[in-house]
Amino acid sequence: MSSDPNTTTTGKAGVIVASPDADSMDKLAHSVLDDLLYNIVHDLLIKVHRDEKMARATTAAIKVEKLAADTLESSTPDGKPDVRVETDAAIYEDGKVLLRGNPLKTTKEILCPKCHLPRLLYPTDGKGARKPDPGVIYCKKHPFIDKPGYDIYGQTWVAPGPGRGKKKKDMEKKLDPNDPSSPAAVDGGSAKDRPPNVLSFPSATCSKCKRCILVTRLNNHMGSCIGNSGRNASRAAAQKISNGGSNGGSQNNDNTPPGSQKGTPLPGSRAASPRKRDAEELFDEDAAEESDPSNPKKKKVKPNALTKKVILKTKAPVKKEKVRASSLLNVEQKVGDDEPGKSSTVQVAPKKSTPKGPSPAKKVSKVNLNAKPPLQAAAPKKIKRDRDMESESSGTLSSPPQ
Amino acid sequence: MSARPETPASPAKNFKIKPPQPGQPVYGCEHLQRLFNQDQMTTNTSIQHYKAILRAIFDQSPLISQTSKTIDGQIVTSLTPTYLCLQCPSISSEEDRTKHGNKKSHRFYVDSRSGALYCQMCDDMVWDPTIEDLRIKKMGNGTFTSTRKRKHDELFSPDPVKDSPQYISLNTTVASCKASGLRGIYNAGATCYQNVVLQSFLHNPILRNFYLSDGHSTCDTQHCLSCAMEDMFQDFYGTENSNGYTAANILSGFWISEKKAFENLVTTKEQDAHEFFQFLAEELHERNGDGKRPEIGSEHSCNCIIHQTFYGKLQSTTTCQNCNAVTNQVQSFLDLSLPLENLTQKKGKKSGQKPPSMTLQECLDEEYIKSDKCEYRCNNCNSMQQARRQTAIKRLPNVVSIQLKRFEFKQGRNERAAKIDTPVHFPLQLNMLPYTNRGREAGAKDNFELARSCTFDLMSVVEHVGEIDTGHYVSYCRVGDQWFTFNDHKVELAQKSDVLGARAYLLFYIVRSLS
Repeated sequence: MSSDPNTTTTGKAGVIVASPDADSMDKLAHSVLDDLLYNIVHDLLIKVHRDEKMARATTAAIKVEKLAADTLESSTPDGKPDVRVETDAAIYEDGKVLLRGNPLKTTKEILCPKCHLPRLLYPTDGKGARKPDPGVIYCKKHPFIDKPGYDIYGQTWVAPGPGRGKKKKDMEKKLDPNDPSSPAAVDGGSAKDRPPNVLSFPSATCSKCKRCILVTRLNNHMGSCIGNSGRNASRAAAQKISNGGSNGGSQNNDNTPPGSQKGTPLPGSRAASPRKRDAEELFDEDAAEESDPSNPKKKKVKPNALTKKVILKTKAPVKKEKVRASSLLNVEQKVGDDEPGKSSTVQVAPKKSTPKGPSPAKKVSKVNLNAKPPLQAAAPKKIKRDRDMESESSGTLSSPPQ
Repeated sequence: MSARPETPASPAKNFKIKPPQPGQPVYGCEHLQRLFNQDQMTTNTSIQHYKAILRAIFDQSPLISQTSKTIDGQIVTSLTPTYLCLQCPSISSEEDRTKHGNKKSHRFYVDSRSGALYCQMCDDMVWDPTIEDLRIKKMGNGTFTSTRKRKHDELFSPDPVKDSPQYISLNTTVASCKASGLRGIYNAGATCYQNVVLQSFLHNPILRNFYLSDGHSTCDTQHCLSCAMEDMFQDFYGTENSNGYTAANILSGFWISEKKAFENLVTTKEQDAHEFFQFLAEELHERNGDGKRPEIGSEHSCNCIIHQTFYGKLQSTTTCQNCNAVTNQVQSFLDLSLPLENLTQKKGKKSGQKPPSMTLQECLDEEYIKSDKCEYRCNNCNSMQQARRQTAIKRLPNVVSIQLKRFEFKQGRNERAAKIDTPVHFPLQLNMLPYTNRGREAGAKDNFELARSCTFDLMSVVEHVGEIDTGHYVSYCRVGDQWFTFNDHKVELAQKSDVLGARAYLLFYIVRSLS
């Protein structure tokens, strides 16, 4: 202690004070705590002081250097840098910057050491906000905004639908493309009415099929587009089974675009022994999939066919989904007929039947999304690279297959 | 009090002040300028003295630098900072500083808490480029010259050609001042477990420097996850965009990756952030490393960025209770997994019904200080014997990642996994010395340099909110001294209290000398 604990009741900060009639241990404890508090404040202050004073000193240096450069330019174009320039805060001499006085007193603003523009010192919104001087061009690095409901740049997002990340059911509902309250539907036409700091969820290009997918659905999309495991395996398999089954007669045309498959009615014979059939098909599909990596061309055929579809007819993906949904529906209803005890499959059916309702709205949003690709210039270069690499093959493949 | 060590006998070397840099004053203040411009001798003694003072402050017991002598000869040790005279070996308190200055006309003092220089004529702290360089080096490495080889030194080996300013200005574009690397990542449908891990990678200075300095180059692999990471780093630190980022390439790289061990992870369902962290680390190691598959548990080590960042080594010592034979086994580790359940139960019993809370240090104590009993086959006795096993860290990584096992498989309750919600208090600053082999050695406690090299600062925290089977991940990352909350695409300012109050799941600590 800097002084005798028996006589003082506090430490250096003088904030934590023991009562004068407390015993000496009590006084000692109080003054220790007070000293520690002082240290915390001291350390904090040193840190802030350092940042601030160095920023001001740098500012003073930048200013005097700029002045020196200006005088050099105006006086002798080929002059040596032996000019001596002075400002209130610094001296420029022999290519050196020397401080004059304390930069905390002499320099009032802070210039960005990178772009040499003044730094905005107060946030423009939220806690501690001040109106910036409209006549000044500030450095683009702004103080972060602390405002509830907004992010550090003062941005906010259009409502992403119910229960973001709260309940699994809600999550699924949100991700369900048929949900009218999902961002895809909300995005519709309100883009112009929104203030500039209200952002909407962007779309991204799937690196495999090059389709433009709303970001919130990207993972699900990749699950079905690339994924070959987990829950989607069964889904993909089921889809392939139903597609494969519908093409039953012609085994050879694997390349049939999914769009053309929709017209083919489901053969009635399929329901006779669905299990056995499923197992067989599944096995076949697995085998086909395993051989896929060794045959990249085959793998590419499908996605490119899809891309083509998208370009020609924006409705195609929607229709395809519908086909899948209805075909599943058929199968499941039949299964349900066979086994009335299985209530879970029956429950699925009404959910799947909803697309008919909101589908026009969805189509609109789809069209919007597909109109975007020219704006995708901001997409990472890697994608572009991929696209370039595949452009050859897609060129050959986009010619009619027959 | 002149307990400071004697300055070494005059070395032949002349100390130079830092050469002038554009946009920076050469001296901290006019008075220091006068001091350094007197003659070479004065400069030499001043800098030598300053170094000695720094050594006294940082390498020796604080008792020495905190003890001052008043003008009337009274010796006082104080908790609050004292001032060490730059021009003579005396230490005075803040009150006596002026008196000492007037008597001896010594005008420069060093603050005993931070090593910062105080100029009496300015009556202010002075931040001189030359002095600051020394101070920061001392605080970081503990030495003034970077002769000591730590593994992270190799990361920053200077290349004379590539480090010249002309080369840099010719071959680089200056990133906008707005590009701060602070952006959210959109949730692509239950991918928040990926986003939190990616954010903690993005704000890891080692990985950032690696990817921004073109560390991952010449890659032809299709759908390379490391290329996707590089794109992400470029986008975060190179563009003005403040909107969220869409990690499409990482996601597709993740889907395309064919790692058997992580097959279950690749679904559209919610997943474990820790597993994704392991996946990402292994995948990036394979893209950047020696091509060998890392096996957790083996003594495998490699020079790839991931190993240099995250991997350390554990040594478990097994002592046979019968013949006292000792076997050592060294394993490399990516993270430290700390079980909470046992400790929670123990604490619950002790404190009765109160909801138990514990500290990170208690969990570490349990794993890396205490020993446990086990059965093992002793080679010496040639039979199964009772043994004591103790695990300690042999080599600390630059970034210590800690997983608090909050998801535990409980046997009793319907054989279901359950989440442990026990709050675990974790520090902003973590001393790992007690958990290392060297920390056990005698005298390690008094080695301040060693202690400093084992001091870690909290860098990011991943928190899981919600239930075991469904929930949401949020992460906190520190940029400089400011903390930010990353909730998918949304980035907000965070208070330290928010961070420390989080029920952390993953913790990332970075070694002090790098942060």
